[in-house]
Amino acid sequence: MTGEILRVLLLGLQLGFVALLYLVLMRFAGSLLRDLRSAEEAQMSSRSGIGRLSVLESPADEPPNGTTIALGPINSIGRNVNNTIFVEDDFVSANHAMLTFRGRSWFVEDQGSTNGTYVNGHRIDRPVALSFGDELSIGRVRMRLDR
Amino acid sequence: MIATNIRRLGVYLMLAFAVVSGSITWWQVVEAHSLSTRPDNPEVLAARRSLLRGTIFDAEGQVLASSEVIDGLSRRTYTDPAMTHVLGYSSLRFGSTGLERTFEDILVGQTDPNPIRDLVSDVLARQPEPRDLTLTIDRRLQDFAAAQLGADAGAVVAIDPRTGAVLAMVSTPTFDATPISGDPDGAQEPMDALRNDPAEPLLARARQGLYVPGSILKVFTAAAALDAGVISPDTTYPDQPREEREGFVVDGFTIREHDLGGIEPALWPLSEALQVSSNIFFAHVGLELGAERFLEYARRFGFCGPIRMGPPERALSVTPSLVTGSLDGDCGPFSGDVDLASASFGQGQAAVTPVQMALLAAAIAGDGVMPDPYVVRDVRAHADGDAPADEILDSFGSGGGTRVVSAEAAAATRGGMVDAVNGELGRLYAGQGDITLYGISDARSAGKTGTAQLGGEQAPHSWFIGFAPAQEEATPRIAVAVLVESGGSGSDGAAPIAGRVMAEWLRLSGGD
Amino acid sequence: MIGSRSRIAWRGAEFRLLFPILLLVPLGFVITNIALAGAPEVGDLTLAVGYVLLFAGAHLLLVVLGHRGDQLILPAVGAMGGVGMIMLNRLPQDLAGTSAFGLELGMAATQLLWFGVGIIAMLAIAVGLRDDGILRHYKYSWAAVGIALLAATLVLGYEVNGARLWIDLGPVSVQPGELLKIVLVIFIAGYLAETRTLLTSASVRIGFLSVPPLPYFLPMLALFGVVMLIVVRLNDLGTALLFFGIFLTMLFVATGRRSYVLIGLVLFVAGSFVAYRLFGHVQARVDVWLDPFADPLGAGFQPVRAIYALGRGGIFGEGLGQGLVTLGGNLTIPFVHTDFIFTAIAEELGLLGAFALLGFAMVLVFRGLRIAALARDDFGALLAVGVTTSLGLQTLIIIGGNTKLIPLTGITLPFVSYGGSSILASFIMIGLLLAVSHRSGTADRASGS
Repeated sequence: MTGEILRVLLLGLQLGFVALLYLVLMRFAGSLLRDLRSAEEAQMSSRSGIGRLSVLESPADEPPNGTTIALGPINSIGRNVNNTIFVEDDFVSANHAMLTFRGRSWFVEDQGSTNGTYVNGHRIDRPVALSFGDELSIGRVRMRLDR
Repeated sequence: MIATNIRRLGVYLMLAFAVVSGSITWWQVVEAHSLSTRPDNPEVLAARRSLLRGTIFDAEGQVLASSEVIDGLSRRTYTDPAMTHVLGYSSLRFGSTGLERTFEDILVGQTDPNPIRDLVSDVLARQPEPRDLTLTIDRRLQDFAAAQLGADAGAVVAIDPRTGAVLAMVSTPTFDATPISGDPDGAQEPMDALRNDPAEPLLARARQGLYVPGSILKVFTAAAALDAGVISPDTTYPDQPREEREGFVVDGFTIREHDLGGIEPALWPLSEALQVSSNIFFAHVGLELGAERFLEYARRFGFCGPIRMGPPERALSVTPSLVTGSLDGDCGPFSGDVDLASASFGQGQAAVTPVQMALLAAAIAGDGVMPDPYVVRDVRAHADGDAPADEILDSFGSGGGTRVVSAEAAAATRGGMVDAVNGELGRLYAGQGDITLYGISDARSAGKTGTAQLGGEQAPHSWFIGFAPAQEEATPRIAVAVLVESGGSGSDGAAPIAGRVMAEWLRLSGGD
Repeated sequence: MIGSRSRIAWRGAEFRLLFPILLLVPLGFVITNIALAGAPEVGDLTLAVGYVLLFAGAHLLLVVLGHRGDQLILPAVGAMGGVGMIMLNRLPQDLAGTSAFGLELGMAATQLLWFGVGIIAMLAIAVGLRDDGILRHYKYSWAAVGIALLAATLVLGYEVNGARLWIDLGPVSVQPGELLKIVLVIFIAGYLAETRTLLTSASVRIGFLSVPPLPYFLPMLALFGVVMLIVVRLNDLGTALLFFGIFLTMLFVATGRRSYVLIGLVLFVAGSFVAYRLFGHVQARVDVWLDPFADPLGAGFQPVRAIYALGRGGIFGEGLGQGLVTLGGNLTIPFVHTDFIFTAIAEELGLLGAFALLGFAMVLVFRGLRIAALARDDFGALLAVGVTTSLGLQTLIIIGGNTKLIPLTGITLPFVSYGGSSILASFIMIGLLLAVSHRSGTADRASGS
């Protein structure tokens, strides 16, 4: 008869186990739904811009290290203060590069600078399409294009 | 934009997960039931290890196989090695064969599981109830036939032509299945010995052995040609006496008569042709019947395809017998007239099982109706003791058989077979092979010997098919086929055995 | 962003989810111990406790180090791995194991050891990989590493079951293919992040199909071709299928072009057909798949037994520890701890358990996709997609194989199947996911404040 008791015990434990499995699954579902809602809200608020530049390295701290710069559709970059993005560095030309958003993607074009414009470490000689996450080097300043 | 693509990817992956869920559900819910009853399911195998199997009784209630559970392992004991090739074996190590396999689920009483079973019956630990089987085979006749074959390799098949009930089905050499069905660890060695034995004791010759039939197939040729109206009992072939001496030229190939034992050739009709077993006569008959009709009759008699002994899903398998080379499990076309003429007297490409030959004899004995053979008579509740229980749960009987030739054709063939055993020429030809029914007063047998020439130095296989009682007005109660491998001429090896087996049965079954 | 490293991040959701999972594992151990012993004894819970401590430790470390990555991933992994550990602990322990460092470890103990190694690797990557430059800028170096791994397998590898996948490194054998998977994902992500605009904007039309501009495409195609050739040469069909799936998926996500996927699929079908005609082992696999019952004791043995195991499980399962794992001292399914672990789970936990396991895998996959969607840059997004696809496809391919949906291939079920290389590789991928989601998490925070 101990066999029968054991079977009942095992059956009970097994049902408990499966119940616990599904409890976990329900909790996962709950968390997923919660996150979905907050992600929606977050997306709403971050949809405003078309992109931004994160400053990774800036020896003269202009633009300041670690800041992000919100971008418009057309951005000029250079040592001249009239540029949309003003860069303080001896290796940067006055009108160094143009960063433009055309349709769906970002493009960068060198404006005949002395030291050139680099994308992901490669010097560009014509307008180049940028992906989010690409690294833009102008003089000694390194920036990254972010969403 | 990447975010959009990711969302689409998510949809695709969701679909993939849904499909996979579906396939899991398919096996775990929809197919679970049908899977659980398949014999090679490990669950079934495992259950068999510990479950009691039902007992198998012979027709008279003698125990043939019984089981007991020792230390959680179910072990099978077989009482009679002569029965092994019918019962098969149920080994914990090698699976099961024979009736043990085809009636597996009934013997162990495996119940069909369902989803609720998992919850309920596990708790109740309900054990399936084993069932017992009763066979149509009479152990006394089986043992008698096995003793007649003795140390020779061969087979004896005896069928009641009225019902198809198999009375005896012996294959030799045989073996005791108890050692390989007992302790699984001790089973390997005896099994290896059986597998390596050059005498091939594992082969169930009665059902699975294919042999050249020789002259016994002339019975088929005669019945087919009579039924088709190609010959009458009086038909003769004018050229036959000359051809007996000089040979019969077919397609440029000369067919020669075998040794007639000093009998002078004459213009023989059917009865005489059967008595002296004339090859030339039956070559003519076969050619006149033609290849197409020859094959049509062959299929009617059960050649060219598997024979089922028993209810369809539980039938013992019988290897298809052939009259030509095989073609995808069917009889292929004859390669030419020589091939057809040779098959007509049982040589050529013909290859048959003893069971098929017993059915041929039974069809003639049964006035042209070939019975449906069966081995298991009924299924009963499990008996505790050595006697079968009274409660019959399921029974199998005569399927009614199939008419293969007209009663007239059967009667004419039967007459020839009676003469082949008892006629003047028959006795002369058969020499010392007197196969009248020893010790049985005024009962007669009918039959036909066969000597299957194998070519070369090999001694021929010895055949006999026949039935008894066969005197006029009598209804035959037993039809037999006897094969003795390398047993010499039909009258030397097989005929005496067949005669004694038929006589023994008439004695056992109470008539004379 | 700077300074966030030192701030403690309470990971409440992760804690709430991990807690019941960590109860689940000891409970499973208790049930299997009782069932196997046939007596109401709790039995040895050392490994269960070890497992609980590993995940609790990982959680605490992430909290202390201020990790802001996704909080559902680790519990999902813990749930899948937990079910796997319960099953591995319940199987005969001499199926696999190690005898390293003077210790004789059984299968479950060895698996736990690999969980430890994997979790350490995961934490190192999740916390240490603050800048993904090392991954994306040296993609060709990673490709070289991958090719080297493959070449090593081709030269040094030894065969198990007809596929040459293993390299013997003293006490442990490793499957370079598992690590190659990660390298390949990194390379493709790096390459596509750089060229995806070109691949999408410029394309050549041939008839109604738009074909990718070849010059941008060729390097990746060439590398991928080499990898596929070697993998097929190694007889590793499952891995070939997996790599192809990952590649196509990443290409689709990067370009949004269904036509590329379509071309890929057509090529795949054509390639499969050629392989079927050319290679005996491929043909044998497919034939077994089409009709495993044709040879139930030979080639079809394992698939047939697996199907039976599923059938035995039914809806509610045979009960943990009560499945028919051995029959007369022999395993009913010889590869139950690797290729067929899913069927063992489905047998003992039934359809309910199988669906739960599938549910955890889906959580993992959809969280992975969410991380990808929220990634701060294209590389991170593609990396997350690649890693997630790898884990998801592996799950689908092996369960599909177990259930005869597709031909069976020798692939592991991530976090569940026994196997050190697979566990380590899967945890590295989780580490990458956590790293990607940490960076987008901090970015969100920065933009929010």
